[in-house]
Amino acid sequence: MGQTMVEKIVSRHVGRPVYAGEKISRLPITKLFFNDVIGPPAIKGFLENFSDLFAKYGLTPQVFDPQRVFFIPDHSVPAFAIAIAEGIKLMQAFAKERGIAMYKEGDGIEHVVLIEDGHIVPWDIVLGTDSHTDTNGALGALAFGVGTTEAMYAMATGHLYDFVVPESIRFELSGALPTGVYAKDLILYLIGTMGAGGCSKRVAEFTGEGVRSLSMDARTTICNMAVEMSARTGIMAYDEVLADYLKDRARWPVEPIASDPDATYARTVHVDLSALEPMVAFPHKPANVTPISQVQEMIARSQREPTPDFCPVEDDTITDAFLGSCTNARYEDLVIGAQVLRGHKVHPDVNLIVIPASRKVYERAMDEGILQVFIKAGANVESSNCGPCFGSHMGVLSSKSKMISTSNRNYKGRMGSPEARIFLASPATVVASAIEGRLADPRKYLT
Amino acid sequence: MITGTVTSIFGDDINTDDIIPASYLQQSTDRRFFKDYAFEKYDPAFRQRCQQAEANIIVAGANFGCGSSREQAVYAIKENRVVCVIARSYPDIFYRNALNNGLVLITLPDTSSFRLGDELAIDLDAGTVENRSQGTRFTFAMPPEERETFKQGGMIGRVRAHLEEILAARQARR
Repeated sequence: MGQTMVEKIVSRHVGRPVYAGEKISRLPITKLFFNDVIGPPAIKGFLENFSDLFAKYGLTPQVFDPQRVFFIPDHSVPAFAIAIAEGIKLMQAFAKERGIAMYKEGDGIEHVVLIEDGHIVPWDIVLGTDSHTDTNGALGALAFGVGTTEAMYAMATGHLYDFVVPESIRFELSGALPTGVYAKDLILYLIGTMGAGGCSKRVAEFTGEGVRSLSMDARTTICNMAVEMSARTGIMAYDEVLADYLKDRARWPVEPIASDPDATYARTVHVDLSALEPMVAFPHKPANVTPISQVQEMIARSQREPTPDFCPVEDDTITDAFLGSCTNARYEDLVIGAQVLRGHKVHPDVNLIVIPASRKVYERAMDEGILQVFIKAGANVESSNCGPCFGSHMGVLSSKSKMISTSNRNYKGRMGSPEARIFLASPATVVASAIEGRLADPRKYLT
Repeated sequence: MITGTVTSIFGDDINTDDIIPASYLQQSTDRRFFKDYAFEKYDPAFRQRCQQAEANIIVAGANFGCGSSREQAVYAIKENRVVCVIARSYPDIFYRNALNNGLVLITLPDTSSFRLGDELAIDLDAGTVENRSQGTRFTFAMPPEERETFKQGGMIGRVRAHLEEILAARQARR
């Protein structure tokens, strides 16, 4: 009986064939990472709950395998408050004593640096203390977010408990994206179509010839936002593009993976990439999606039929723009943004913030003159971190702010004031909007 | 038996940013801290309503607790004397966080009949929700292991037993 990738990965790690619906009492994991938000309480919980057991065996408390645990301070760095600085120092001390790799503030975002550094490979079972851990599924891994408690348990034993093998929904992509339309537009389109809960309890598997034309940067953008349709995670098969990416990069053995042709899916959704156009998600949820050509109709609808998570939007003007986050601040995203911006200035009424997703991205963009395009056009370029997406620094929004962002969530109050309006779009659309001071179609800048 | 008063009714897709805004997450590692900021931006009157009843029950639509994996959302709810949430569905991460912290989540296909102030009695073993104010009764399914985990407030006992197996095996190899 054919298996999906998820069923295959779980089967390998438990040593017998398993299928969707089966509950795995103890699921071994292969990689575990913590950010500065959950690292400190998880360390405290680990020491409080398990130190006595280690002592009983004459051991100091150690994580299940220091080679497979990573600490990545990325959300609130450089630390902007004492409590945050204390948390990061706690992580540093804990990591150093135990031989755990600890990234530095500014090295980059958790869902970017481990991939860049070759730590994520196909067949991995990856847990991260952040819902956007699904990003790592673009490398053929089973990767998803967990809370403090499960991460703390995994830290001790290397296992996740009572894991129910999820069914998968197959997104069969055909065709190629037209000029000015990107992976972000595709995933926004899917979230809009499926709804905020449309993939609940299921894994979103992206497959078909349409995937093959997408770069790794584009693929990670797609898997990143699978959780915005409440998918357990996103996943993609191994192919030539991933093989090229992992060559000379992977620090762990690489083995191909794909679902069996006769695997069972909950359903299949077909998407023709060539029929898509730039998309914009309206406040206050990522599923409020409209094609850019119908923004005026969407504004009218928001005034006519508002709900608690679809608020009235007065007009298409923009005051803030953010090119960054684990969704869309990799090298190609900055290249696209700079391509749109070259020869233009940021609109006088707009604050454009650009935050490369990692130090490596930052350096490459600097070496190639890409950062200079943003800086000369009047953008604020910051060192690598999660930025205003986390709502506490680097561009917190006022009650009057109207932000267009490449990040993944436009929830009420996500980036500051609950009165602020947040729109989500691709790097091209965000930069075009930053130039015009209103929601803008990027395609006219790309001909 | 869990008893309480319905003091909040929400719609679909309540996310964990709604439940606890990000700016509070790193201010403390003490779970009680989050009590004072529950629904700070989405529903600032939530905490006050919770103070009116001995035990609170939240009723919601589909997909309650979507979005961020922040477990502080569970603490923020539970620390406000919420004994149970009744919703049409929950995404996985929130469900597991609640399970691990003994915040009881009940799933019913339709939650529209509940009204603010309704007095409910939930029997986990029987799988029933009794609305004593309206004189109605609903049944729900919950796997027995999950019921036990909710009752015990998590699975720390099992995890400690597993860690001990691992440490003992390691010692035997030395």
